[in-house]
Amino acid sequence: MVDLVPTLLRQELSRLADADQRLDGRSRWGSRDVTLETDCLYNAEGSAKVTIGGTIVYAGVKFELRTPWPDRPAQGSLMCGAELRPVAGRKYEPGPPSPQSIELGRVVDRGIRESGCIDMAELCIVPGEKVWGVMIDLHVLSDQGNIFDACGLAAIAALRTAVVPAERFDVGEDHTLSVNGTPIMASFTRVGGRYVLDASEEEELGGDERIHITLGDKGHLHSLQKGLKGVFTPAEFAEIFEVAQTRCVELRKLVAEQEAN
Amino acid sequence: MGGYGDVQLLRDDGKRLDGRALDELRPVTVEAGVLPAADGSARVTHGLNVAVVAVYGPMEAHPRKIQRQDRAVIDVRYNMAPFSTSDRIRPGFNRRSREISKVTAEALESVVLVERFPRSKIRVEIEILAAEAGTRCVGITAAAVALADAGIPMRDLIVGVASGKIEDTVVLDLDKAEDNYGQADLPVGILPNTGEVAFLQMDGDLSPDEFNLAMEYNFKAAGEIHDIMVEALQRRYEGGEA
Repeated sequence: MVDLVPTLLRQELSRLADADQRLDGRSRWGSRDVTLETDCLYNAEGSAKVTIGGTIVYAGVKFELRTPWPDRPAQGSLMCGAELRPVAGRKYEPGPPSPQSIELGRVVDRGIRESGCIDMAELCIVPGEKVWGVMIDLHVLSDQGNIFDACGLAAIAALRTAVVPAERFDVGEDHTLSVNGTPIMASFTRVGGRYVLDASEEEELGGDERIHITLGDKGHLHSLQKGLKGVFTPAEFAEIFEVAQTRCVELRKLVAEQEAN
Repeated sequence: MGGYGDVQLLRDDGKRLDGRALDELRPVTVEAGVLPAADGSARVTHGLNVAVVAVYGPMEAHPRKIQRQDRAVIDVRYNMAPFSTSDRIRPGFNRRSREISKVTAEALESVVLVERFPRSKIRVEIEILAAEAGTRCVGITAAAVALADAGIPMRDLIVGVASGKIEDTVVLDLDKAEDNYGQADLPVGILPNTGEVAFLQMDGDLSPDEFNLAMEYNFKAAGEIHDIMVEALQRRYEGGEA
């Protein structure tokens, strides 16, 4: 279904931007409430539920035994996929995976993979024969904006609670998956001409391009993505990059707090 | 049904492995209005099963060839999340989910006052987040609450429930082990207020007497679950106790 972007909405967003305001009263770098719950899905080996405002996302981790890729005989594998099923909102329709859902899964995948938080060599059981494949599935149940940050947070939180089901596959004892780091994504959307953090559904509808930044524990960049039509300047990027640093520290703290409970 | 006989499913005291009596349900919880993006939604847990349902509509039915001049069409998708089962499920439709979606849609069409919304479509999205036997029934129960939450008029709140047979004994509401090693499964969708049945499937082996007993269990359980569904809707819309 084609989104009908009301001209009035764009005008209003532009007017608000000039006054440094947002539709829901937030500041430019303000976020909606973020909640995180882990170990919440009975059949998943690791799981998390994240809500950001009215956006709800689940992540579930499953393991499978597979033969390693020929060029990497002593390494396991990681795959992160996202589903934007019609449950998530009126605008979503059934059918094969949409380009949007593939982009979403791959951007989250890169952030986790490139941060190096999973040691692929540790996922090897018998070199050349048997390795673990780790699958993170992201399931968006309600899209009210910024599903990227919700998915990124759910994915790493679920991964960090995952238990390798070795006993069920008869390859040793169950053990927690070792995850060295908490890569976190921060997403910005151009609304009314300037970037804002954590865009709402309406801001996405009446906004333009978005930028996703995934940062590791040391503040290093691990994945970047610009989506949708639009351009930005280095100065604009410098500004949001600074905000991303703060945002990622906050969300990483949320993961740590959840784990401490 | 899976293998017969070689697995003990009834204890020496006549109860089931999880301690339930023969005609006892697993615990059921219902919550209405859980998905902000949807027009109506519900979350139902039944034992370890978790189903979340979103309802969208009534909305314009497109493509136009699916429109009906005199009534709404109900578009149901039953989907198991990849992480909902012991072994990961590849995302996407399969034969099982297509069949369940079809018969569930037909059951809901018999309950919703579809003639009130000619040429329109009502989307019912059933997502199974955790599966432990009986997911199609949990999906139906959740769909009924989500439809009510969306304000769509219905003749009754349809309730999904199943009985079956283990060790030659009829029992209500099979859990995973009982489903895997049992001898029959009889999932139904019941309209408690009218005493009608809108959804019916069965596989395995049941004698006529066993079938009658299984249906008796199903009707009794449907009444119990119906009360929980009504309470959930009252909590949401009356902001208080039932």
